[in-house]
Amino acid sequence: MTNALLSALPTAILVPLPVAVPLVVCAILLATAHLLPGRLPDILATLTALTVGILCALIASRAGDGAVTYWFGGWEPRDGVALGIGFSVDAASGWIGAFIGLLYALAFVFAWGFFGRTHGHFHILMLLFLAAMIGFCFTRDLFNLFVWFEVMSVAAFALTAYHLEESALAGALNFTVINSLAGFLMLGGIGLLYARAETLDFAGIAAAVANAGRDPVVAGGFCLVAAALMIKAAAVPFQFWLADAHAVAPSPVSVIFSGAMVSLGVFGLAKLTAVVFAGSAQVQDALPTLLTGLGALSAVLGGWMALLQRHLKRLLAFSTISHAGIMLTGIGALSAGGTGGALVYVVGHGMVKGGLFMIAGILLATRASIDEIALRGLGRGIGPAGAAMAVAGLLLAGLPVGLLDQGSRLLHGALEGTHPYAFVANLTGAALTGAAVLRATGRIFLGLGEDPGDEAGAPSEEEREKADRPLWLMLGPCCILLLLDVIVPPAWVEALAPDAINAFAHGTLTGGMEEGPLWAAWCPVGAAIALAAYALFRHKLPRAIVRPVRATQSLPARGLEALHSGLIGDYVAWLAVGLALIAGALALA
Amino acid sequence: MTWLPYAVAAWLLAAGLYGLASSRNLIHLVGCLSVCQSATYALLLGLGYRWGSIAPIFYDHPPGTPAVDPVMQALVLTDIVVGATLTALLLVLTVQIFKRTGTLDPEQLKPMRRRGDPAGADAPRSAEHPSR
Repeated sequence: MTNALLSALPTAILVPLPVAVPLVVCAILLATAHLLPGRLPDILATLTALTVGILCALIASRAGDGAVTYWFGGWEPRDGVALGIGFSVDAASGWIGAFIGLLYALAFVFAWGFFGRTHGHFHILMLLFLAAMIGFCFTRDLFNLFVWFEVMSVAAFALTAYHLEESALAGALNFTVINSLAGFLMLGGIGLLYARAETLDFAGIAAAVANAGRDPVVAGGFCLVAAALMIKAAAVPFQFWLADAHAVAPSPVSVIFSGAMVSLGVFGLAKLTAVVFAGSAQVQDALPTLLTGLGALSAVLGGWMALLQRHLKRLLAFSTISHAGIMLTGIGALSAGGTGGALVYVVGHGMVKGGLFMIAGILLATRASIDEIALRGLGRGIGPAGAAMAVAGLLLAGLPVGLLDQGSRLLHGALEGTHPYAFVANLTGAALTGAAVLRATGRIFLGLGEDPGDEAGAPSEEEREKADRPLWLMLGPCCILLLLDVIVPPAWVEALAPDAINAFAHGTLTGGMEEGPLWAAWCPVGAAIALAAYALFRHKLPRAIVRPVRATQSLPARGLEALHSGLIGDYVAWLAVGLALIAGALALA
Repeated sequence: MTWLPYAVAAWLLAAGLYGLASSRNLIHLVGCLSVCQSATYALLLGLGYRWGSIAPIFYDHPPGTPAVDPVMQALVLTDIVVGATLTALLLVLTVQIFKRTGTLDPEQLKPMRRRGDPAGADAPRSAEHPSR
């Protein structure tokens, strides 16, 4: 019955719905929230997110090896001139949209009763955020992309500062300033590209870019747009805002930030480089050095910083920087395997990192702390959360099972021969972030590690989140995410990936989709376990071993900490450096 | 085609970035962000401008009269809306920050500062050396 009904629906009608539905629900909630009884906004928002996920999955499965295109208001291109704004959904974009819908639904379940009486404002902002993300994935118009980028940013700014506490406000301010700058840069870049192409449609710009040859206007446009997307994707040296924002945002919001928003920067960059800038030799020459270089740097630096943190959410935020860097290296490989691996990685990483932020939220709610040292041994009463965190830590390190591993294997295969340093950086990043999570698990849930005594002060202001929520309600969504990451059949992804990547990149990416060797998957897992064990049992080792390690660590570690100063002025200076780096890479190509 | 609007845009962006990097007052910081944004206005309007043509309103001109590019003007209009939203949001954050901390100096508020540690230098203390 439902099947017959679904197949009767023409696909073209479905395409705008995943964006329109949350926006309509958003408006209805805004108008009626003060009248609605208690938990109705929760239910409505969860159902809406689920609907979006199902619609996206439906479109993705209909797209097959092509793309479903929809022109708003029937403004179809005539004689090759596209005046209207269109959505174009290929299988890869559609499935990522479906994943985002699911992540939101689970985040809403996790946030059940989180905010007490909010008049639905949280749900309204989250639904707006959801609509913007789906629009960002689906659009085929550069200016439309910018609009969704900005809507996404504004919703995110407001959600970060939702609690209106001192650290939340400062984090939100840094986030807002840097990401607004990203928006301005993007708009400037779009203006330059429009000046050359006289259209904003991806296909039209791609044709103009291919004809332009070595053109400073195109290069400038790419530089600005790429910088904006890399700020979103938190690549070094644009990464500073992320740790501040993710650490202070409410947990359900952090789930979305790390699980979807940061990855969408990578996704946008992958789409634009493959679809719009495929014809520019200059851009294509600059990309491998630029993306694998900055990606590798992010992977290692993020992993190292994660290992130095004791604020659990900040630790997870740095691990997101590291993993976003790993995705960037995949795009830098400029091959079907690299981009395909990065897109699979986006979904797998979103599931694992979303689950981890939910566990951090559980600790905040039930143990009223987020400090790893202060929480030492306090997790004993909530064993299942500890088990989930350990599994997530192992998955993050690259345990060869599930979607995240499939993505990283594809990345390894694409990078191993061509970019060996990026390959090593990927393994290092996975090992360091996995070690950081495993160490925190051991300390919090097993009470391992040194007893810090009285000095275990909290690193920031008193933090806690609403406590009177049942544990299963918070743990359930987390386990579903981790389970999904593990049970998605690899054969299905394998069968889907080649056609999906071909459609995603409009056939501009070549190369097979080879998987990396098995040892490359096990290596970081072993290293992560060894590193975590060293951190936890260091006090039992002879001083002769510990002292030199500590001595070589402390100076660079302190330097890194000092770089992440939390000062907005420093961040802006680094942003200018990053912009200069991209421009330099383009000039040398 | 003249280089002047592009030079102005580059100058505004550079001046705005310098202001952001060196700002010691949050309201000044919001103003600097607006200066950066003005760079995009100048750039976009410069790109869309055609010498000797009319505004893209054909009420009292025959269709086909050379006009400046309306797409660019639409982009600038959207940009202004975005700018207004951002400025409002940032000023709200600034007001809330001032209410809670009594200062507008970004150096005084670091997101992860330890309580009762005004220097904030040791902010997110390393988990590696808890006992230090």
